[in-house]
Amino acid sequence: MKKWLRENSWRHAIGIFICLFSIFPLYLVVISSFNPSGSLQLTSFIPKVFSWNNYHTLFKSPAIPYLTWMKNSLYIAGSVALISVMIGSAAAFAFSRLNFTGKKLGIQLLLLVQMFPAILAISAVYVIMERVHNFAPDIGLGTQPGLLLVYLGGAMGVNIWLLKGFVDSIPMELDEAAKIDGASAVQTFWLIFVPLAAPVLAVVTLMSFIGTFNEYILARLFLVNMDTRTVAVGLQQFIGGQYSQNWGPFAAGSIIASVPIVIIFLSLQKYIVSGLTAGSVKG
Amino acid sequence: MMTLLRGKVAYVLKLIVVLVISVVLLMLTQHAVAQREYAIAIFLAIAVILIAFTYLTQVSVPLKFFIPGLLLLFAFVLSPILYTVVMSEFNYKTGNILSKQQAIEQIISRAVEPDANGTSFDIKIGVSNGVPAILASDTINKQYFLATEKSRIDLTADQVTLDANEVAATAPNFRVLTPTEMQTADTKYSNARFVFGKTGYFVTLEGFDVGVVSHQVLEYLPDQGIFKSLVDDSVYRDNGRGNFALTTDSSNMLSPGWRAPIWFENYTKLFSDSKVRGPLIRVFIWTMVFATGTVLTSFALGLLLAIAMNKPMRGRRFYRSILILPYAMPSIMSILIWAGMFDTEFGAINNILGTHIAWFQNASFARLAVIFVNLWLAFPYFYLISSGALQAIPSELNEAAAIDGANPRQIFRKITLPLLLQILSPLLIASFAFNFNNFNLIYLLTGGGPRNVLSGEIAGGTDILISYTYKIAFGSNTQDLGLASAISVVIFVIVAGISLYGLRKSKVLETFK
Repeated sequence: MKKWLRENSWRHAIGIFICLFSIFPLYLVVISSFNPSGSLQLTSFIPKVFSWNNYHTLFKSPAIPYLTWMKNSLYIAGSVALISVMIGSAAAFAFSRLNFTGKKLGIQLLLLVQMFPAILAISAVYVIMERVHNFAPDIGLGTQPGLLLVYLGGAMGVNIWLLKGFVDSIPMELDEAAKIDGASAVQTFWLIFVPLAAPVLAVVTLMSFIGTFNEYILARLFLVNMDTRTVAVGLQQFIGGQYSQNWGPFAAGSIIASVPIVIIFLSLQKYIVSGLTAGSVKG
Repeated sequence: MMTLLRGKVAYVLKLIVVLVISVVLLMLTQHAVAQREYAIAIFLAIAVILIAFTYLTQVSVPLKFFIPGLLLLFAFVLSPILYTVVMSEFNYKTGNILSKQQAIEQIISRAVEPDANGTSFDIKIGVSNGVPAILASDTINKQYFLATEKSRIDLTADQVTLDANEVAATAPNFRVLTPTEMQTADTKYSNARFVFGKTGYFVTLEGFDVGVVSHQVLEYLPDQGIFKSLVDDSVYRDNGRGNFALTTDSSNMLSPGWRAPIWFENYTKLFSDSKVRGPLIRVFIWTMVFATGTVLTSFALGLLLAIAMNKPMRGRRFYRSILILPYAMPSIMSILIWAGMFDTEFGAINNILGTHIAWFQNASFARLAVIFVNLWLAFPYFYLISSGALQAIPSELNEAAAIDGANPRQIFRKITLPLLLQILSPLLIASFAFNFNNFNLIYLLTGGGPRNVLSGEIAGGTDILISYTYKIAFGSNTQDLGLASAISVVIFVIVAGISLYGLRKSKVLETFK
């Protein structure tokens, strides 16, 4: 017993202490989202009254088109994730399985590009898309399709790099067999590779979804209209530094926006942790 | 399935898709040419050719896989990078945004002054024979005329009907604009010059009710490339930096200017101009302190946790699933939540501490808060990678050391830690590079503040290089895209250097040798 105490008590002490540290802000947000007054000030850390007021405000108040924001976020992050993985997996397949001149150089360039922090070129993206807006108002600055295109471009580097890592780990035997049977590269890709890599593609799609969902500054720069905003920009603008006034609805909104992401993240934990060493989502 | 992919149906489908995409891109190309956006037009045209060439012939199989990704990468990653470098060579800021041609047109249309007597008319704006026209009334002398940009027709008093203010409201061949037309008419009318009837003079609008007799005061001489005054003999010359300046007083410049190449001036400004250099050095130091501090604190906490949990014990899974929550939350939401918790009046932090600290109004407190919040956000990541690395260290090593009589502390310091650092150093470096540009944290938590508003300084106490750059480009009254781009290029060189160093350590590059 004494030995157990000496060996394990400090481990549990650290575990409990850091768990409290982790959970504390989240607990606070949850209870303030059910606090009827909706104010930032909490009179006690144990809730006495329970109310859906803040959630009600969030969905009913005309000043907060929350459902539209959620829809925008899901639409943008979903499209970017799906399209970028479709396009990225083709390139990753080619890097991993095909032989061509300049392959080594291509991989090295890709490595450099995926390291480049997109935010550095943000003023250039802004100016370029402003010009695009001049001749094609539907896909330029201030539009969701424009933002989508910029996201797609930005997602390419990381996604191809990540997918290439995964594809490399898929054994070659199957596609070599297909090759011997006379399948072309395109057929091997669609008929052998895609079904085989489906779980991996799904994981990268979800990771890309989380990454896009989390993006703030480009969305802020692009989406000026209230109704085109993503949930991150919408909530941030809504709270507008006035934490004391809009805290309740904000707390409710941030919980609803976070739950799907947390669920995806926890269910993908295994893959994300193994992908961490490959340098993925965030950190 | 195989036959479908090979068959005619698939071929026709492919043809349709390629055609539709090409047509859309060609239409865009045409629009781009029409708006004189030649660089974009050339890119679009090349994209069409590449797509058609790749998918309709069998010349290159790998290209079939690469083209969509390659085009997107080029359009939205590579070309912005190149464009950033180009912009950094230009005097590109508020007041110098237009092209030279546009700037000249603007100067000409702005160089208008009322005549010496300040003659003005009450007017109605409207349409005459399908072109913009004004109906002008001299209410004192009871004289009226109808003017377009081409002609002037004098009207007698019985040709017009007057409204309550004795201003002519109707006239033959003239229709007053409806209120809805008024809203969209602005540019068409405000820049128009209506015929007055005296050489060199014309009527321009001041609002929608008053017309002023004006004349041109500056004239552009294209063959000499100068602006010459029509009133006195002053001359404005291209100063080589994007403005026309008076020959006798170079600080007297015509507005607007244009974006002109100034080569390395934006870069030399970073080091020589004390107004730029001072804040930049302060921001750079804080960026380094922040990135180092945040990596060290989060790594320390994560490692401590990993060591504590590095043993099968009851509740480990439970701890783990709670510990990972800060990392699983969307970081934007967490940052905003923390910003609320640091609120001076009602925030939970002051509430618990029983203090009344204005966290974000004091630079030192704000910096502490930034590092603290990032500790919360990032420690699970370091916990995860540290526990992974701990498991990768062979247990034989520790056992051998124990047999040799080393105590647990010695084993940790002499064996575990050095090995751990060796395994993790690429990730620590990558994390340093990430935090070097951790824009969201700074921007959403403190907004880079606190800053001294009175001194007009735009760099705040917690601004890191990237948020400072963003403010230079977008966040203040004068947007200086040229200077911001120059700083971006410098940051990129630093970050690329750090990342390449990290990569060399991680030996990823070795696989290509």
